Amino acid sequence: MKYKWAIIFAFILGMMLPSASAFAANTFESNYTYDFWGNSQKSLPAFELVNQVDGSSLGDIPLGSVDDVFVSSDRIFLVDSTESRVDVFDRDLKFLLSIKLIRDDAGKIIVNPDTNQQLMLNKPGGVYFSEALNELYIADTEAERIVVLSGSNYAFKRSIEKPANMVGVTQFKPSKVIVDKDGQISVVVQGSYEGIIQLNSDGTFARYFGLNKPKVNVVDYFWKSIASSQQKQKMKKIFAPSFNNITFDSEGLIYATTFDASAQNKVFRFNSKGENVLLQNGYWPVIGDLHSFGITDKKSQFVDIAVSDFGVYALLDKTKGRVFLYNFEGDLMNIFGSNGNLKGDLKDPTAIAWAGDRLIVTDKQFSTAYLYQPTEFGQIALDAEKQYFNGKWEAAGKDYEQTLHQNANYDIAYTGVGRNYLMRDKYEDAMYYFELGNSRGYYSKAYNGYRNLFIQHHFVWLIIPFLLVAFALFYSEFRYNKRNS
Amino acid sequence: MASMIAESKYMFHVLLHPFDGFYAVKSTRSRNYTLPTIILLICGLTGILGYQYTGFILNYNPLFAMNSIMLFITTLIPFLLFMISNWSVTTLFDGNGTMGDIYVVMTYALVPKLIFDIIGIILSNTIIQEEAALLHAFVVIGTIWFYFLVFCGLCVIHEYSPLTNVVTLIVTFISAIMIVFLAILYFMLVSKVIGFVYSVVIEWMKR
Repeated sequence: MKYKWAIIFAFILGMMLPSASAFAANTFESNYTYDFWGNSQKSLPAFELVNQVDGSSLGDIPLGSVDDVFVSSDRIFLVDSTESRVDVFDRDLKFLLSIKLIRDDAGKIIVNPDTNQQLMLNKPGGVYFSEALNELYIADTEAERIVVLSGSNYAFKRSIEKPANMVGVTQFKPSKVIVDKDGQISVVVQGSYEGIIQLNSDGTFARYFGLNKPKVNVVDYFWKSIASSQQKQKMKKIFAPSFNNITFDSEGLIYATTFDASAQNKVFRFNSKGENVLLQNGYWPVIGDLHSFGITDKKSQFVDIAVSDFGVYALLDKTKGRVFLYNFEGDLMNIFGSNGNLKGDLKDPTAIAWAGDRLIVTDKQFSTAYLYQPTEFGQIALDAEKQYFNGKWEAAGKDYEQTLHQNANYDIAYTGVGRNYLMRDKYEDAMYYFELGNSRGYYSKAYNGYRNLFIQHHFVWLIIPFLLVAFALFYSEFRYNKRNS
Repeated sequence: MASMIAESKYMFHVLLHPFDGFYAVKSTRSRNYTLPTIILLICGLTGILGYQYTGFILNYNPLFAMNSIMLFITTLIPFLLFMISNWSVTTLFDGNGTMGDIYVVMTYALVPKLIFDIIGIILSNTIIQEEAALLHAFVVIGTIWFYFLVFCGLCVIHEYSPLTNVVTLIVTFISAIMIVFLAILYFMLVSKVIGFVYSVVIEWMKR
């Protein structure tokens, strides 16, 4: 009898053991999105491959690699650092010309009189075309300079070497470059822990820019706090993580990315003081993939960012070759793309840029630039964000409703629809959608309105019990005093 | 039934007069465990209700993954763990309370906490985010009351001075951690053994 109970007890204990869980569903599905609970849910891709630039697009000219892409209003610039070239295409991906040797206005190759060498690009890393100044800026990394060409005939204008008044220990090896309307140049140097270099339009050094906080280790913090200054000198220094790519948004604010594992944030939107003001109001912070499985699986590392005119930004992830699409509030909109050897897959992604509503993604190893166009779902989703960003709530609400017909797992659209109802004071509908979209802040606002209306409509029924209680109190007091007196 | 009603009436007296009340519970009154057990079951039920029916604004639980049996157990385990570890500690520290005494003290003390929790669950459906702090403060009243009653009750039934009681509570906490540790160790061992037997069976079947 005793044994029987022991066996039953052991059986119950055995039943209470946790079952082994499998995460296969999370890893093999490439088109997924993350819901409020951090679970991956199936989702439609927002973009599909339509066209590509590869070695055959340039005729006889070999294409070594594609390291950066910039899309101007009528041209696309691809940087080929292996062949030290910048290739110019029109917006239909038709090859126009390539820049390797720099020519002057007359079309003659410029020769340095001292060394008798031709002025030639040397492993450039980035390119920027300034519409306002009509100038093409090429970050000529190995030559440690920025070459500025005329925007119309690509004739040499000037070159910006390391400024004489530059401070700090950062080597002037510009990797990515952007130029604002007033000609102020921001330069990213790979591996620089001093931040983004900002130069005035005349090429003099202005400042280092951008705050990239490293993660603080509690143990290190403790030891540092009790160490003497001599001990501190011998300790390993923690440097600020470096930025690896920058771009402008439509308001002229600088967006930057970092893939340094020691950085606290991965994506930055800088105000003029250099503080990160990126909105991260989504279900999750802007970090790309939420989960990584095992030791070999790394977290998302963003190599480039592309910001559209309506605040939607695309992040290119090196780890899994994915593109993460976020809207300006930091909601994850979509994830597409993958690592691999098939057409459209990425091996070593380098750059991403918007071309209207299309996206151009480049890969160094395949030396290709892929042109993605929005799918039916993606187009509506983008339209909804566009309308919302421009303050057209009504139209945005309709578009969000459309996206839900296409993709019921597109959770942020529930919030979008609910927001539209909230603006129109339809509180009950708004609450329904906010609950589906798991958006508690907005739900609270809608509920506040609903509750006010409820109290107004049922004021009598709410006040009667109070009056009865008050009356009973007064009456009992009255009777008590009467009896005593 | 009539005795139950009398018992509950006395329980509410205990909540307001813990020292006298718990002393009478321990020494003079006849012992009946029905009411404490009902309270404990209601406590487990409140755990489930809180998970599901807390208003949406304050409810961050994944309702689609709700498992009411697990919720029931996980709500009760801390209290049972406290009971066992407190009993095992106080027997060493010359406490006069029996397991039954601790059980009664703990369940009676739970009553205000349960009342405030249930009212909190109902009110949480009628508030907005800005009022959440007020609701929280309201619910905390019940919790503080619960701690106060447990403290008084343990003092009385073990016949401790407050200082000794604090010491035994600290040791209770440590011993609870040790019990959890041993339990985990045991479960891991059992799972290893089951895994071993399983692989032996597989091995034998596919031989």
